[in-house]
Amino acid sequence: MDNGPGDIIVSLAKAVKAIQMYHISHPSASNFYNPLYEKMVTYLKEHQIVEYQIDKFKINHRNKVVYKEEEKETSVAFRLFRNGIRNISFINGIDFDELIRFLKIISMSSKDEDIALELWEGDFEHINFYVIEEEDEIIDYKVPDFAEMDVDYDAKLREIIARENIDLNAPIQPELGSEELQTLKNEIDEAENSSAIPVAITTLISYLNTEKVHEIINSLIELLELCMISRNFRDAIRIVNKLNEYPDINPIARFETESIIVGFKDVLNASSEDIFNEFMSFISHFSKRSIPHFINLMAYAKLSNRLSELRKRVAYIAQDDPTTLALLLEKDDINILVNTIATLGLMKSRETVGLLQPLIGHPNALVRTEIIIVLVELDDAARIALYLNDCDEKVRIKALQSLAKLKYTVIYYDILRRIKSKFFKELDFSEQREYFNCLVANGGHEVITELQKMLFKWVLFGRKSYSIMRKLSAMALADIGTEHVLNILKRGAKKRNKDVNNACQMALRKT
Amino acid sequence: MSVYKFGTDIISLFYALVKAVQVYDLNNDVVVKAAKKIVYNIKTLLNIYSHIQLVRYMDYVFFNKQRLRFEIDGYAALQFIHDKLKNLAIKSITFSPGIDEEEMILFTSIFKNNKESFMKDYEALKFTNIIVEFSTDEDEVPDFLREGERIKRTYFKALKVTRNLMQNLWMNQPVDVKSSRRIIYNLIDSLSQDEFGLLTLTAVKNLDDYTYNHSLNVGILSLALGQRIGLKKQMLAKLGSAAILHDIGKVALPKELIYKSKRLTNEEWELLKKHSDYGVKEILKTRGLDETGLISMTIAYQHHWNFNGSGYPVHDKNEQPVLFSRIVRICDSYDAMTTPRIYQVVPYLPHFALRVMWKLRNVWFDPLLTKIFVQLLGLYPVGSCLELDNGEIGLVIRQNQGYPDQPIVKIILDNKEKRVEDKIIDLSMNGDIKIVRAIYAQKYGINPATYFI
Repeated sequence: MDNGPGDIIVSLAKAVKAIQMYHISHPSASNFYNPLYEKMVTYLKEHQIVEYQIDKFKINHRNKVVYKEEEKETSVAFRLFRNGIRNISFINGIDFDELIRFLKIISMSSKDEDIALELWEGDFEHINFYVIEEEDEIIDYKVPDFAEMDVDYDAKLREIIARENIDLNAPIQPELGSEELQTLKNEIDEAENSSAIPVAITTLISYLNTEKVHEIINSLIELLELCMISRNFRDAIRIVNKLNEYPDINPIARFETESIIVGFKDVLNASSEDIFNEFMSFISHFSKRSIPHFINLMAYAKLSNRLSELRKRVAYIAQDDPTTLALLLEKDDINILVNTIATLGLMKSRETVGLLQPLIGHPNALVRTEIIIVLVELDDAARIALYLNDCDEKVRIKALQSLAKLKYTVIYYDILRRIKSKFFKELDFSEQREYFNCLVANGGHEVITELQKMLFKWVLFGRKSYSIMRKLSAMALADIGTEHVLNILKRGAKKRNKDVNNACQMALRKT
Repeated sequence: MSVYKFGTDIISLFYALVKAVQVYDLNNDVVVKAAKKIVYNIKTLLNIYSHIQLVRYMDYVFFNKQRLRFEIDGYAALQFIHDKLKNLAIKSITFSPGIDEEEMILFTSIFKNNKESFMKDYEALKFTNIIVEFSTDEDEVPDFLREGERIKRTYFKALKVTRNLMQNLWMNQPVDVKSSRRIIYNLIDSLSQDEFGLLTLTAVKNLDDYTYNHSLNVGILSLALGQRIGLKKQMLAKLGSAAILHDIGKVALPKELIYKSKRLTNEEWELLKKHSDYGVKEILKTRGLDETGLISMTIAYQHHWNFNGSGYPVHDKNEQPVLFSRIVRICDSYDAMTTPRIYQVVPYLPHFALRVMWKLRNVWFDPLLTKIFVQLLGLYPVGSCLELDNGEIGLVIRQNQGYPDQPIVKIILDNKEKRVEDKIIDLSMNGDIKIVRAIYAQKYGINPATYFI
C-alpha cells in the first residue's frame, strides 16, 4: 500500500510546527519543509494529484486516517477545519515557492487570521481546497410564495413584444470572431495589469464637478498620497489641479515635509525621463515652504541636467521672492549653500547680488565658484574680476572663463598686464591658456598685434621658458582663425627659430 | 507545440466529433471528416507519446498529465467534455496506436447514452484501442461537499451577508468586510465547480427584499460572466465584491423612495438616479481606498453608463466605462428586467430580456460582452419555462455549451397539462423536439422555485 499521502501530511504537520517555532527562513524550519517538498513532488509525478479530507482533528486520504492530533493548538487538521476548510488537494506542477507560501499561511494563528481567506487570496495554482461556511449556522431558505395573479400572461407577452419591438425570429449568433476574441483578451489583459487608481480619480473628480463633498476631497488627498508613493505624478497632478479649484483647500500642504520631499531622491535619479519630467511638473504646485527641503533634495542628484532642472523648478516655486532662499545662505552646509546660490542665480534678481555679498569671500571654493556662475547670470563682470586674485586656481579659471564669456573689454589691459608679469610663468598651463582666451575674447583688433609680438619676440635669456608663451600666443591666434592670422602663423612656421616654428606648426594643425 | 496546446486541440476535435455524431448520421460526411481529423491528430501525437490519455479528476481535465484550464477560447469544448466525463462516470480515456476512424465514431456514438447504458455499451462493444476507466465511489466527492447542497448553502449565506451589509449601512453601523470577502470566494468556488448551480438560484426571484436579492444576483451573474471571459480568481474576487455593492448608493436615499409602490415622479426619478453618486460615498465609508474599494467605487458610479456614451451620472461621452462596469451594466439590466417588482409585477421573460439586450448591444451594452452573456445563459436561460412542439411544458435546468437554443429541459406538464415526474430532455440530442416559445410559468400554475431550491 502506497503510504505517500500519509508521509506527506505528517511531513507537512512537522514543517508547520517548525515554522511556528522558528521563522520560515530559519535553517531549522527548512530542515522540515525541504523533505516535504521532495516527498510531494515525487508522489505527484506519479499520481498527478493528492487529495485530503479535513475533519475536526483528523486528516483522511481516501477514507483512511493519515493524520490525527486532538490538541487544538498544534493540530493542523483543527486549524484548517476551524476556518471551514474541508478538503485540500495538491496538484502536480506545484513549485517550491508555492509550497512555501502555502506553509506560511497555514502556520498563521488560526484564531486571529482567517486561513481560508488567506489561502483564497494566495491564489494558488496547484493547491485546491473546498471551504464551507459554518456548519452549525442555520441558513434558512424556503421556496418563495407563489403569488397567484389575475394576469393575462399571453397579453402581457404581446405587450412586451410590441413595446420593445422584439422580432422573435431574428437570429442571434453569439459566437465571437477571432478579432473580437483578441479585442476582448486585450481588454482583459489591460484590466488585469492596470491600477484602479486612475479611473477612481476620474470618478472622484467627476463627482466633485457636481457637488463639493468633504469625504470625496479627503479621499482624493489620500489618493494623492498613494500616487506620490507609487511615483504616479501624472495622476497626482490631476488631483492637485482639481483641488486647487477650492481656495480653502491646499492639497499639497501635508506633503511639504522634509522626509517626504527628500524621499523623492529615487525620482531625481530615476532612469525614466517621463517620471522625472512628471515629477518636475508636479512639484510646481508646491509652496515656498517646501523650498528648503527641495534644496536638501538637490544634494542627491547624480545627473547635472536633473540638478539643473530641479533648481529651475525651485526658482519657479520661489516666484521671484528670494526670502526663503536667503535664509538658507546662513547655513554652513556647503551643498545647501551651493544649491541655494545656484537657485538664486536662476531668479535673475538684482537683489541677489546684495544677498550674496557676505559670501563673496567665503572660504569654500565651491561656494565662490557658484557665486561666479550667478554673477555671470547677473552680468556682473566687475565683481567676477575680483576673483582673478583668488587663492584657488579653479575659482580663478572660472572667473577667467566667465569674463571671456561676458566680453568685459575693460579687463583687457589688466589681463595683458598679468600675462606679461613675472607671476604668470608660475601658473599652470590650463590657467595660462584661460588668460589668453580671456585676452582674445575681450581684446579688439590690437590683440592680434600683441599676440604676434609675443609669438615672435626675440629673447636672449630664458628662451626655453618663453617657448610656452609662444605656444600660447600661437594657439590664441589660431583661435581667432582669420585669414590674416593664419598668414601670420604660416610665416612663423617657416621661421628658423625652433620654438616659433614648433608653436606655429602646432597651432596650424589645430586649425 | 506544448502538451497543453496538443491537449486543447484534442479536446476541441473530440467536442466537434461528439456534437457531429449527435446531429448527423454516423456515415455522414461531417462525422467522418471530424473523426478523420481527431484520429489523424491522435496518431501524430502517438509518434511522440506512448499513449494519449484524457483524465477527469474532480473539476479538472488532464491531457497526458497536463491540467487543462478553462479559458475564453475553447471554454465551451472543455466544459462540455468535462461534464460528459463526469456524467458518464469516466475517470480516464486512453487512446492507443491502433485507433481508426471507425472505432472512434463508434465510441463517440455511445456518448449520448446515460451513465448506465454507456457502461453497458462500452463493455459490449469491446473497444481495442480505446480504454475507459470508470470512477469508483471513493473518487466521488464526500457528502458534505455534494454540490447542490453546498451551492444552496453558499447562495443563501451570501444573501444573508448581503442583507446584513446593506442593513448595517442603512443604519450607519459598521460592516463585516471579512464575511463579504469570504463569501465572494465561496461564490467563485461554487461557480468554478458548477456554473449553473448558482445561476439557477439567481433565476429564483423574490427570495428576499429586492434590493438584497438583486445585489447578490448581479454579483453572481457578473462573476459568471467574468469567469467566462477568463478573469483570474483575484480579479473575479474584486469584480464580485464590487458588483454586489453596485447599488449601495441606494442606502443614502430615503427608504420611502426605494420602496415606493407607485410610479415615481420626475423629481423622485432624478433623486433615485443620484444613487450612482451616493454609491461612491458609501463605498468610501465601507471599503476605503484599497484596490477592491476603488474598483467598487468606479462600478457604483459607472453602472448606468451606456456603451454609446449616454447614461447617468452625466459624463464625458468619450470616456468609456471600465470593463467591470460594462459587465455589471449587463448583469444589472438583465436581473432588473427579469425580476418582479412593485411597479413591474410581471417581469420580462429571460428570453425576452436577452432579445432586448441583444438589440441594445452597441447602444447600451458592450457588444462582445453581450455575446458572451448570451453564450453563458443561452437563449433560454435556466429557469425559463418553455412550450415544446410536442405539447409538453418544461423548465430549462441547464445549458448545452455551444448550443444556446437547445437547452436541457425538465418536463413539468405533459401535452394534457398533467404533472410529469423525472423527465428530462436534452434538446441538443433530441433534434425532433423543438421549442415553440418561452412562456410565463405562472400561466400554468408552475412555481419554478419549487424545482430549484
